[in-house]
Amino acid sequence: MATAAEQWVLVEMVQALYEAPAYHLILEGILILWIIRLLFSKTYKLQERSDLTVKEKEELIEEWQPEPLVPPISKDHPALNYNVVSGPPSHNIVVNGKKCVNFASFNFLGLLDNPRVKAAALASLKKYGVGTCGPRGFYGTFDVHLDLEDRLAKFMKTEEAIIYSYGFATIASAIPAYSKRGDIVFVDRAACFAIQKGLQASRSDIKLFQHNDMADLERLLKEQEMEDQKNPRKARVTRRFIVVEGLYMNTGTICPLPELVKLKYKYKARIFLEESLSFGVLGEHGRGVTEHFGISIDDIDLISANMENSLASIGGFCCGRSFVIDHQRLSGQGYCFSASLPPLLAAAAIEALNIMEENPGIFLVLKEKCARIHKALQGDSISEHLPDVMSTASAAQLANVSLFFIQCMDRSIALTQARYLEKEEKCLPPPSIRVVVTVEQTDEELERAAHTIKEVAQAVLL
Amino acid sequence: MRPGPGGCCCRRPVRANGCVANGEVRNGYVRSSAAAAAAAAGQIHHVTQNGGLYKRPFNEAFEETPMLVAVLTYVGYGVLTLFGYLRDFLRHWRIEKCHHATERKEQQDFVSLYQDFENFYTRNLYMRIRDNWNRPICSVPGARVDIMERQSHDYNWSFKYTGNIIKGVINMGSYNYLGFARNTGSCQEAAAKVLEEYGVGVCSTRQEIGNLDKHEELEKLVASFLGVEAAMAYGMGFATNSMNIPALVGKGCLILSDELNHASLVLGARLSGATIRIFKHNNMQSLEKLLKDAIVYGQPRTRRPWKKILILVEGIYSMEGSIVRLPEVIALKKKYKAYLYLDEAHSIGALGPTGRGVVDYFGLDPEDVDVMMGTFTKSFGASGGYIGGKKELIDYLRTHSHSAVYATSLSPPVVEQIVTSMKCIMGQDGTTLGKECIQQLAENTRYFRRRLKEMGFIIYGNEDSPVVPLMLYMPAKIGAFGREMLKRNIGVVVVGFPATPIIESRARFCLSAAHTKEILDTALKEIDEVGDLLQLKYSRHRLVPLLDRPFDETTYEETED
Repeated sequence: MATAAEQWVLVEMVQALYEAPAYHLILEGILILWIIRLLFSKTYKLQERSDLTVKEKEELIEEWQPEPLVPPISKDHPALNYNVVSGPPSHNIVVNGKKCVNFASFNFLGLLDNPRVKAAALASLKKYGVGTCGPRGFYGTFDVHLDLEDRLAKFMKTEEAIIYSYGFATIASAIPAYSKRGDIVFVDRAACFAIQKGLQASRSDIKLFQHNDMADLERLLKEQEMEDQKNPRKARVTRRFIVVEGLYMNTGTICPLPELVKLKYKYKARIFLEESLSFGVLGEHGRGVTEHFGISIDDIDLISANMENSLASIGGFCCGRSFVIDHQRLSGQGYCFSASLPPLLAAAAIEALNIMEENPGIFLVLKEKCARIHKALQGDSISEHLPDVMSTASAAQLANVSLFFIQCMDRSIALTQARYLEKEEKCLPPPSIRVVVTVEQTDEELERAAHTIKEVAQAVLL
Repeated sequence: MRPGPGGCCCRRPVRANGCVANGEVRNGYVRSSAAAAAAAAGQIHHVTQNGGLYKRPFNEAFEETPMLVAVLTYVGYGVLTLFGYLRDFLRHWRIEKCHHATERKEQQDFVSLYQDFENFYTRNLYMRIRDNWNRPICSVPGARVDIMERQSHDYNWSFKYTGNIIKGVINMGSYNYLGFARNTGSCQEAAAKVLEEYGVGVCSTRQEIGNLDKHEELEKLVASFLGVEAAMAYGMGFATNSMNIPALVGKGCLILSDELNHASLVLGARLSGATIRIFKHNNMQSLEKLLKDAIVYGQPRTRRPWKKILILVEGIYSMEGSIVRLPEVIALKKKYKAYLYLDEAHSIGALGPTGRGVVDYFGLDPEDVDVMMGTFTKSFGASGGYIGGKKELIDYLRTHSHSAVYATSLSPPVVEQIVTSMKCIMGQDGTTLGKECIQQLAENTRYFRRRLKEMGFIIYGNEDSPVVPLMLYMPAKIGAFGREMLKRNIGVVVVGFPATPIIESRARFCLSAAHTKEILDTALKEIDEVGDLLQLKYSRHRLVPLLDRPFDETTYEETED
C-alpha cells in the first residue's frame, strides 16, 4: 500500500518535471549548483584579520591607565567638614562648641530625649543586648519586632505593617518589590532621593509630573490610556503606580491626596504614599496625610514612612493591607538580606507610639507653632501647616551660605542647609535653608529664630 | 611535588560539575595519592607563583554531588511541582480553601499586582516548610536562645503563638562569631551609659546636623583597627554597599563581580550604571581572562578604554563558606591596575590571628585593598557598616556618599557598642578577652568541621571559615532537618532555592566563640543522629578520625572511598 502511494507520487513528480517551463528548470539547476559551491568553498575567518597578537595585547595592557579611584576633593568643599555635635542632638544642642537652640533636627515631637523612651530602650538593652546578629529569616525576629509591627498596624488602622532597619532602605526596597521592568510609575518631580533610588532599582518606566500638579498628572495618565488602547494585550499586564509623598522633603508642601484618590480609581493606578515627614505630624492623631484629609486608609495601597523623624528612633516601616505588605517579606531586599532592627530601637519606637497615642494634643501644639513661624517669616512663599519651612536663596548668594550658618550659630540658632547630591538628583531642588519646628521650642525661641534669620540673611545673603 | 609535614599544596581546581575538588595532603591522611598527584601536576600554571603568594595552607573543598542524590533531588522537585499545579488547580476551582490574602473588591479590575507564576514557588514549595524560617526569639541571641513556640493548624498559612517558650535552644544560626551578643558585660554597660546621655535617635543626616562626636570617635577607631588611613561608618550594612558603589563607579566603568556575591553588592553594582561582568566563583583564571579582555578590547562597540575597573569580592561567602583567594586577587589587581572592593561582612573579626579579617588572615598589607568594606552586625554585636581606605577615598565619600547626604546616622548606643567591642578585640580595654575569643572561634571552627567531615557529611567551604554549610540536597530534607533539630533543642538555619542553586540546598551552621566544647559536642551528637535518621551522610571521602600523634613519613592511611 505504501509503495503504491510512493510510486504514485513519483510518477506525479516526473510528470511535473516534463511539464515545467524551461526557465524554471534552469533556475533550479543554477541554485543547486550554487549551493554545492557554497558548501565546498573556503570559509572566511574574519577574526584572524582583526585578532591581536599576544605581544600587542601585552602592550595594550601596559599602556592602559585607569582614572584614579576617586577624584581629588578640595579642602574647602562645602560638604567635607561636618558640623560636630557634642552630646545629644536634642532641643539645646552644642554644635562646634557653641550652645544653640536646635532648629535643624527632625525631632518634631521632642521625643529624642524623652525619659520614658530612654527607659524603654534601656530595659530592652538589658534584656537583648544591642545587635540582633541576623536577618529576619534566620533568628533575627524578636518579639519586640512583632510587637512593633502589630502596634504600627493598629495605630495606622491597617491590616499589617513591616519594619525595616534603615529609613532610607524602606521605600527604596518597597518600590522594586512591586514594580518591575515594563511597569509604569508616575512620580512627582520633587520626590526625595530614596524614592528615586527605589525607582532606579525597579527598572520601570518613570513618568514625572510637575510638582503637585494634578492636571499634569491627569494628562500623563490620559496619554497612557491612549497607548493602552493601541496595545490592549500589553496593557493588561502592565501595572501602574503613582508614587507621592505626604509632605515633601524638598519643598515642604502637602500632596493633594483627595484628587489623587479620584485619579486612582479613574485610571486604575495604585498609590504608594511616602509619609516620612507627615507621620506623627499631620492629622488629628498624627496618622499622617490620610487622616489630615479624612480619606479611608484602604484607598492607599502602601504607606511607607521612616521612624527617624517623629518617632525619634531609627528604621522605617510600611503598612497597608496584608495582600500588599506580605509580599515584601520575601521580596523586599532591605528586609530579607539585611540584619533586623536592634531591639532597643524597636522598644524606643513602641514607647514613642505610646506617648503619641496618649497625648494627641501635641499635634495641635505643633500646628500652632508652625503657623507662628510662618507668620514671623512672612514674605516667603510657603503653604500652611508645615513643620519645616524652606526659604530659598539664589545660587549667587550661596557663596556666603556657610557664613550665614556660622553667624546664626553665633546667635545660638542652629540651622542647616538642605543637602543634596547635585549630580545625582533627577530634578535638583533650589538651595534652601532648613528650619524645623518642634513642640519643644517655646514661642520666644520661635520669634527669636525668625528675627535672627531675617537679620543675618539681610547682612550676609542680600 | 611532595609537600612537607603538616603542609598542604595549594589546591588546583579540578572542575567537575562546577564544583572544585581538592587535592590535598594533611596530617595523618592522604587522599587518593595518585589522583591528587595527577591533578596537582596537571595544572602547573601559576602553581609555583601561588606557592609563594600563600603563606599558609589554603584548604577549600566543594565535593561533587553524588549522581543518585542529584537525580533524586530533581525527582523530588518534579513531584512537588506537579502537586503544586494540582493544588493551584483545586484552589482556582474553589475545591480547596484559599488561604492567602486577596485583592480588594474595589480594585478587582486593576491590573493584578502579582503574576501568578512568580509566586508559584512561594505558594507551593516554600509554604510547606515555612516554619523553619522567621522563628521569633525572645532572648539575647547568644550561644543559647529562647524561641517562641508557634503552631499552625492550616499547614503553615498562618501561625499562632502557643505562649510557650522553648528555652535554652543551642543557637547555630545567629551571626555571633566573637560572642559579643550579650546583655551583660562591659559593652552593654557602656552602651547603657551612652543611651542615658544621648538618647536613641539622631533625627538628621551626617551632612546636616547628625554628625555626633561619637561618630568621629568611631571612625578614627575603625581606621586604626583596620590599619587604613581613614574610615567612615554608616547605619546599615546593606545600604553601605548599595549607596557607595554608585558613588565610586558610574557609566563607562567596569565592575567584575564574583558569581556568588551578596544581594547588596549586586544592587550597588546595578544602581551605579557601570557595566557588570561576572567571573566564576573564586576562580582566578576566569577573573584574569576577564581583566585581560576588558583592557585589550575596551568598552563594547565603541572600543573606548574603560575609565576604571573595580573588582567586587567578599571575604567569606556566607552560603558557601569559602574564603576569597585574596593574595591572587591582589596580584592580579596590581598587574592589571584594577581597583579592589573587599566586602568583609562575615570575615571581619572572625578571621585572622588578631581578628582583623581576611587581610590579616593572609598576612597581607591593608593598603593593597583599595576599598575595605565591612559590617558591624556579625562580629561586633551591633548594626551598621563601614568603609575604610585612603584619606582621599574617605574624603570623597564624605562629600558624595548617598548615605551621608540622605540617610540618618548611626544611633549613639549602637556606636558605643561597636567602640567597646572593637577596643576589646584590639586588646585596648586591658583584658585578653578579645584574643581569647578569636582563638576560641578558630578552635571551634576546626573542631566542628573536622568532626562533621569524619561523620561523613558533605561540608562545603574553607577549613578556617566559621560558616559551615552542610549539604542536604533534597527538598523534603530541608524541612525535615530544620524540624528535627528543633525537636532536639538545636536551632539551625536551612537554606534552599533561590538563595542557593536549586539542587544544592543546605543547612548552614554559624559558629561562635560563645559556643563551648560541651555545646558543640551536644550539637554534634544530635546532628549525627539526625544525619543517620535522614540519611544525610553522602560523602564518599570519609576521613579517618585524626590520631593525636605527629605526622610520620612512613605511615599513610588510605581514606575510605
